[in-house]
Amino acid sequence: MLETGIRQIRVAMAMVFGRRMNPRLVERLVDDALATLHEFGSPGDDVDQLVDGPFNDPNERRDLQTRALRRTARRLADKSVFYRERFEAAGVDPAGLTLESLRSVPVTVKDDIVARSADMMCGAPYISTQTTGTTGTPTRVWLSRYEIELWPALIALAMLLRAEIRPGDCMQINISSRATAAIQEDLGLFRLANAPARVVGQVPPDESIDQLLDRTGPAPTILTAYPSYLGQLVSAARRRGLGPDDFELRTIFSGGEVLSPHLAEAACDTFGVRRVHDPYGVTELLPVGGRTCLGGHLHLDLNMGYTEVKRLDSDEPADVGELGTLVVTPFYPYRECMPVLRYDTRDVVRVLPDGLDCELAGVPAVSKILGKESRLLRTRDGIVTQRDVIEALDGLPGVEWPVRHRATVAGDGRLHLTVAARGPSPSDVVKAFADRDLDVTAEIIELDEDEARLFHTLRCDLREETFTRAPGPKETP
Amino acid sequence: MNTGQQIYSTGVTLAFALAVPAGAVLYLRHFRVPRPPVGTFNGRDIVVMMGFVLALPFVYLALPGAALPAVLALVFAGGLTVGYQPVVGRTPLRWALILALLATDLAGHRLLGSDSPVYWLANSAIVGLVVVSATNLNVQGGMRLRHIAWFVLALAVYDLTFATAIPLTQDLVEAIQGYPFAPSVGLRIGDYSSVLGMGDLLAYSLYSTVSYKAYGRSGLRLALVLVAVFGAILPTLTPPVLDALTGHRPDLIPAQVLFGPAAFAGYLALRRRGPERRMVELTTLPALA
Repeated sequence: MLETGIRQIRVAMAMVFGRRMNPRLVERLVDDALATLHEFGSPGDDVDQLVDGPFNDPNERRDLQTRALRRTARRLADKSVFYRERFEAAGVDPAGLTLESLRSVPVTVKDDIVARSADMMCGAPYISTQTTGTTGTPTRVWLSRYEIELWPALIALAMLLRAEIRPGDCMQINISSRATAAIQEDLGLFRLANAPARVVGQVPPDESIDQLLDRTGPAPTILTAYPSYLGQLVSAARRRGLGPDDFELRTIFSGGEVLSPHLAEAACDTFGVRRVHDPYGVTELLPVGGRTCLGGHLHLDLNMGYTEVKRLDSDEPADVGELGTLVVTPFYPYRECMPVLRYDTRDVVRVLPDGLDCELAGVPAVSKILGKESRLLRTRDGIVTQRDVIEALDGLPGVEWPVRHRATVAGDGRLHLTVAARGPSPSDVVKAFADRDLDVTAEIIELDEDEARLFHTLRCDLREETFTRAPGPKETP
Repeated sequence: MNTGQQIYSTGVTLAFALAVPAGAVLYLRHFRVPRPPVGTFNGRDIVVMMGFVLALPFVYLALPGAALPAVLALVFAGGLTVGYQPVVGRTPLRWALILALLATDLAGHRLLGSDSPVYWLANSAIVGLVVVSATNLNVQGGMRLRHIAWFVLALAVYDLTFATAIPLTQDLVEAIQGYPFAPSVGLRIGDYSSVLGMGDLLAYSLYSTVSYKAYGRSGLRLALVLVAVFGAILPTLTPPVLDALTGHRPDLIPAQVLFGPAAFAGYLALRRRGPERRMVELTTLPALA
């Protein structure tokens, strides 16, 4: 107990003073957390403060974040050619940076990483990971060995203390095997939590269902999948007449795309879980991430990074109630090898007022991710987000998830939807949107599987074939 | 020491040796002390505890006479306020009670003398409550029977060494005599006297409470029998028995020399019943009948 206290103090000092952490030290804290859970069944008092930091006091929060920003900026000016140029061009002194003067530094965008990744390197590269390229341009991000070791330990500690993972859990990983950073992280944190994992990938949904039902090893209790693939799993399970009694799952994590409440509810009903967690994470910003509370807000990690919401049409901060894009700066020493400053994710959120009364009220929040900025639909009635569309379509009667569609703004400024589905009628679509005060025109088309994938690409289309069900090689006559 | 005095000494020692562990178990069943978000008692904590046991006597002896009671009073006050937070939630009331106890101890000593029953009753109450508090901080922090069994075995070696080869124990007893806030419980009434050191009491209390935590009522029964026989009866009866057999009456019988091996054997016996219970299994215990 005494040495655990000393370890906590050492980690806390590293956090406060921004010194490089010893991953082994954090790993030992994970062991301590496991021992604590084994003995007591739960963490001790004031665990929220340990996990989320002392951020209830806005002044303390501001002070800690300013110091973290300065040391991050100083390091960038010292080691990154790209950011040294940025600071010089903006006339900003990294050592004197404030939350206000930070806005003088232009945001970093994906194209900057694609074009100048070598100039952004600040540490010894160990592994490269490539984003899945959902926006059309995959980004290669280099990570150091330190990052690969530190992140799983920090995340495992936080998840164990929040009871998001427990000893005895087994995770089935159904995200694309190309998401190397996320998979490395998941495997690392489950190794530290002394829990097994099944790396399945995005194989045909029925094979994933078979894995969920498999009892030859530890049965999966946690599932992680993109929402579109989760939709396929729900549809596949329902087709096979499977229900909550057939699965051992207790939690599902589903991020990377917009998750609708309809799909989340269907997943809960089908797999027998109490809740589908909708976390937020971006490869370029790891380990900074966000959690969605029961109130439906997205709470971003303040310990590891600084978050701004920038107006859609300017670099000014968005006001309460306004839409804007998330701009995030991961702090040193959490991000080391290829760090970014003011990275504009182009993920659209709505700014929420202070004083929320959810279970994570101590951590400031924005709305859930509403979609990519490039996919906003500017109609005559206002802006329609990807989330507006997906939530309306996912609730259509008799649809199979994921619902593929195309949304365009017609010449008269009205939203027009083409939905690939069997079951609902155009009037069902119009009604579903009218219920949300959205005036749309709609048509329904029926497509086969291959046509549907070409019609509207989703993350579940990063398919990984196996020989289990794939057609065998043609026999030579 | 006549027979009456011997019976008195054994009886009072036995009463304290059983009452304080019983109080600690009662506390364990009814109250939960605050604990840090992460951390549970482990083998290294035993090493640290043993380090304190080794270092504290030297610190006590190095302190100037008047400073020792002041340090002890501060330690007692700290132990009481931390340990009784769940019992008396209101901080001002808790501190008022603690200060009243300390004031009674000091006043009893100053006004009535160090042999006064009032002083000894007040001092025993403070030390007993501190031991109950310290016991629960450790046991509710996840201490296991394995830990305390090894600890009392190490204490046996320590006691034997410092009572025979290096006469530190006797020096310590002499150093604290005549000052208030003595780290011991007991009662002196005229020629009748019985004193039990706080360290011994803590060892009995920890062993009994952890035995209860680990193996329930049967564990507690065995622990209390061991405490009664090897912690109270044998250490107080050994001097007259040796006197009768050899004609030489030793000044001091270090109790842990007898209790340590017996307690370790008790642990080995209890261990055969299966794995120890954890704190998580105690939270749903029914209230004490």
